[in-house]
Amino acid sequence: MKTSEAGLNTTFDMRLLDDMARKETVIHRVHPLVKLVTTVIYLTVVVSFGSYEIIGLLPLLFYPVLVITLAELPIRPILKRMLLAAPFVIGIGILNPVFDHQVFVVGGLTLSRGWITFFSIVLKCILTVSAALLLIASTGMDKLASALRMLKIPRLFVLQLLLTYRYISVLMEEVTRILRAYSMRAPQQKGIHPKVWGSLTGQLILRTFERAQRVYQAMCLRGFTGEYNTGAHERITVRDTVYLVVWGLFFALARIYNIPMLIGSLLTGVV
Amino acid sequence: MSHHMTEVKDLHYVYPDGHKAVNGISFKIHHGESVGIIGANGAGKSTLLMLLMGVLFPCQGEVLVGEVLVTKKTLPGIRQRMGMVFQDPDDQLFMTTVYDDVAFGPRNYNLEEKEVEKRVLQALEMVGILHLKDRAPFKLSGGEKRAAAIASVLSLQPDILVMDEPTSALDPKSRRRLMKLLDSFEHTKIITSHDLDMVYELCDRSIVIKDGEIAADGPTSKILVDADLMDACGLEIPLALQNCPVCGRKK
Repeated sequence: MKTSEAGLNTTFDMRLLDDMARKETVIHRVHPLVKLVTTVIYLTVVVSFGSYEIIGLLPLLFYPVLVITLAELPIRPILKRMLLAAPFVIGIGILNPVFDHQVFVVGGLTLSRGWITFFSIVLKCILTVSAALLLIASTGMDKLASALRMLKIPRLFVLQLLLTYRYISVLMEEVTRILRAYSMRAPQQKGIHPKVWGSLTGQLILRTFERAQRVYQAMCLRGFTGEYNTGAHERITVRDTVYLVVWGLFFALARIYNIPMLIGSLLTGVV
Repeated sequence: MSHHMTEVKDLHYVYPDGHKAVNGISFKIHHGESVGIIGANGAGKSTLLMLLMGVLFPCQGEVLVGEVLVTKKTLPGIRQRMGMVFQDPDDQLFMTTVYDDVAFGPRNYNLEEKEVEKRVLQALEMVGILHLKDRAPFKLSGGEKRAAAIASVLSLQPDILVMDEPTSALDPKSRRRLMKLLDSFEHTKIITSHDLDMVYELCDRSIVIKDGEIAADGPTSKILVDADLMDACGLEIPLALQNCPVCGRKK
């Protein structure tokens, strides 16, 4: 039963982001297009830092922290989702300390420079993944899609994105049902016997195909022709522009100047 | 009011695997009629509905809605006049809120957002779930989901309501509430169901389908009480008309 319940939980988890997106806070009220553009600028700035830089990246932590606070989002579920990306990033970065043999000394400790690149990658991952998650959690997929359409992204791509997003939860629900039915009749087993992997996945594909087809039919019957309409587009207000400009300036400053270093030298008076 | 008439002429449909699902069905349904389509599992009821809605196209014969032939070209207009409620409301509710789901249809017809809002609120009011408009569909109970699915069709203001098993998986109270609701609608209703008691109460006319053909077509009060006919078609007379299990055992 354990596996199936885990599946069910993930399904509800999936939709948690949608729930969060329905809140009404300062951040939620910002125009989706503005939030999207801000996030893209942020991602570009974070990625543009060199692989040996860590200190310079730190001020950029300010963005996710402020957004998560102002949008009143729960921290734990967001952190949990960030962990999903962790294996990939560790996989990419873990060999750096082995290959990069140059050494440096910090307070008597001799370390390989590879560790710096590794931490830099991890930090970048934290920043980028959290920014993307926060964008979804404070905007919602529907509005995000309409923002993409405003940017003239072809509707086929936007539709693909939206339906994939919906389809995942449909798939998860089917998985949960199949697993539950399986574990009910195989009480003494841990997990699923390799013998039935094939038929279970085949079953799953057929079921989801059918389900997806019915969903699509239901959409067509209500006049769906390929354009996903999400209601009236809000106008971009002065407040939205200010939001974009202020963050833009902050990101630019953080990119050009090493802010922690500046603060440090100001405090110690060495300029 | 012939312009709301639904007519099916000598309909045939064969699935790609060679299974003959519909085999020469013809009938006329007039404006305001309430028709129950009944038959055993696999009799061809669902296929018939799909043909009516233009999801499938017949191999032979034709479907006319308000004297308009159902073809790919006429579909948008026809789908505005015919609303279909699916058996599983989860298939029909795919947006993030009930409001958006109900607004999905009108928005697809590019109505003004004000008109969309008016229609959505009206449809939700009609099915009595206005208070649920900002909830996520997947968090509703079975009865509420069904009501939301019906509202999502009503917002298009159709003349004809097509329903596949509207009372399946509902608890008795929700079923009763839904039946009252359906009874209050003045739309033309085409309902497929195995809930023969519901058909008996709601539909004036019944069409019995057996092996893709019409076995009987006439007033519900005559058809559903015909025990031999019902038995031959894999059905039985409504429970309400059977002997009382407490005071008298069946022969």
